[in-house]
Amino acid sequence: MLIKPIFKLFVIIQLILGISSVQAATIEHDAGTLTLTTTPTRIVVLAFSFVDALAVAGVSPVGIADDGDKNRVIKSVRDHIGDWQSVGSRYQPSIEAIAALKPDLIIADTGRHQSIYSDLTRIAPTLLLKNRGITYQENLVVMQKIATAVGKSEEVANRLAEHKKMMQGLKQQMETVSTFQFAVLTDKGMWLHTPTSYAGSVIAELGLKSPLSADNDNTYLQTSFEQLLKTNPDWLLVGKYTKNTVLDKWQKSPLWKMLSVAKSKQIIEVSPEVWSLASGMLAAEQIATALASQMQR
Amino acid sequence: MSRYKQLLFGGAMLLLMLAGISLIYGAQTLSINTVLHTLWQGGEQDFIVNDYRLPRILIAILVGTGLAVSGVLTQGIIRNPLASPDLMGISGGAGLAACTVLLVWPNIGSVWLPVVALFGGFSAALIIWLLSRWQQPSPARLALVGIAMSAFLSSCINFLLVIHPIEVNSAMIWLTGSLWGRNWSYIWPLLPWLLTLVPFSFYLAWRLDLFALGEETAQALGVDTQRLQIMALLSAVALASVSVAVCGTIGFVGLLAPHLARLLVGSRHQLVLPIAALVGALLVLSADTLARNLAPPLELPAGVLTAILGAPYFIFLLHRYKGW
Repeated sequence: MLIKPIFKLFVIIQLILGISSVQAATIEHDAGTLTLTTTPTRIVVLAFSFVDALAVAGVSPVGIADDGDKNRVIKSVRDHIGDWQSVGSRYQPSIEAIAALKPDLIIADTGRHQSIYSDLTRIAPTLLLKNRGITYQENLVVMQKIATAVGKSEEVANRLAEHKKMMQGLKQQMETVSTFQFAVLTDKGMWLHTPTSYAGSVIAELGLKSPLSADNDNTYLQTSFEQLLKTNPDWLLVGKYTKNTVLDKWQKSPLWKMLSVAKSKQIIEVSPEVWSLASGMLAAEQIATALASQMQR
Repeated sequence: MSRYKQLLFGGAMLLLMLAGISLIYGAQTLSINTVLHTLWQGGEQDFIVNDYRLPRILIAILVGTGLAVSGVLTQGIIRNPLASPDLMGISGGAGLAACTVLLVWPNIGSVWLPVVALFGGFSAALIIWLLSRWQQPSPARLALVGIAMSAFLSSCINFLLVIHPIEVNSAMIWLTGSLWGRNWSYIWPLLPWLLTLVPFSFYLAWRLDLFALGEETAQALGVDTQRLQIMALLSAVALASVSVAVCGTIGFVGLLAPHLARLLVGSRHQLVLPIAALVGALLVLSADTLARNLAPPLELPAGVLTAILGAPYFIFLLHRYKGW
């Protein structure tokens, strides 16, 4: 009974003092609707695309599930945020480490952290948003949701308009005859990122063609050398996660010469962190710029 | 105090100490006073101690007990030192069933998963049982049949993971055996199974002792061996399956725990069962504590750690029982 009048008094005092942090934000997310009464300041994020969104909003997270390696957050994102603490791997973030940071907002990945959502909500209000397997367009929507949550929707909307203009400009410079394919390489294999993946959807957004048939519903396509020969893209962009990859072996094969990229030398090494891990708007700008600079070469 | 009681007491003390260590250490180290205070009165660390570390410790103990008792029953009934729920493909069957369901309905929840895993475990056990009826294999060959079955099931699991690459993560973590993200809601579905099946295995204990003398001798002494075999196997499969349902395939506990127990107290089941349960609980709890503390805040799957212990032991066993 006593709490209500005290709370009212509290609100009135805050109104008088004109503290702007008292603004309610309501966000629809994958586990319902979240209402925040104050603007969060201690944010823990469990996926890289959310870090990108926070960097766009100009808000620094206190904790990131960065797999224990700060370099996994790409430089263009790192430049916009302050230092943070690791809360473990994206697959199994340490719930203790998250709780120890005393966050007031957690942003978790629907694909990976649904099973710990109830635990996370006990630590702090939690947004469950799509990260894994997200496309370029989907990510822009998620980014705006995060912007609303941190009270920066206006700033982010302005930045987004700028981004769209930039993408339009780059789109004009693209040639639309050749096919483009991004693939991730490790010592275990090669995975083609199809147009439903992040890099693939950025490539499509720029009006570039994919060598894959349209009826493909996979996001990541594990590929043998023979399948690569059949796909035979005009441009092959590869992101290597390990120093030695299966490509080294394939290049020794007599059939290697059959690939058009082997003849045209249009096989380009790119950062897998930017092209695959980050999956954010800043990463998309880097991908688009890299493609445009290849065109002009 | 007899030697046995000393062992039991020592084991229990060790478990209690380990639980204490597990409550204190983690991504954030707490003082003993904080832990005790939080256990009684809650407070600032309420979430970490009471809702995170404590349920994980209890689950580790329950699952370790379940796997160990399941191992004792399996080895007792198959009269084969190499038999254990994971090597016989029972964990694999439970794993495959649970994985399939997790990939199709990711939100199935902690209540139905044990049921699904039970179904998978029983199916795998049935196939093994039919094969052994038909083949009448020697113990080493039966172990091989079990390993082949496990390999087959894990290849099915791999196939599922390859065709569902996006949803893989949760299933993958679950498969390597991990207590990550397990809280109180996983304890309640586990508890009734253990509370009925563990006492039941004590009821079976002296019959299993007689069974160890040979099927005919046991029959002559008044044991209905067919019934005993079925009851013990059903309990073993159920215990292994519910354990797997909660924290995935934590390997080799069902093999190691009964062996260590026999080494310590001989082969009478009544004596072996409590010690094996203690050893199993100790194994899983120490594996999980290490998993949380080796490189915080990164977490390792506990199943990897038990495999590091278990795999060499299995090779040693194969070597030791060469003649089989």
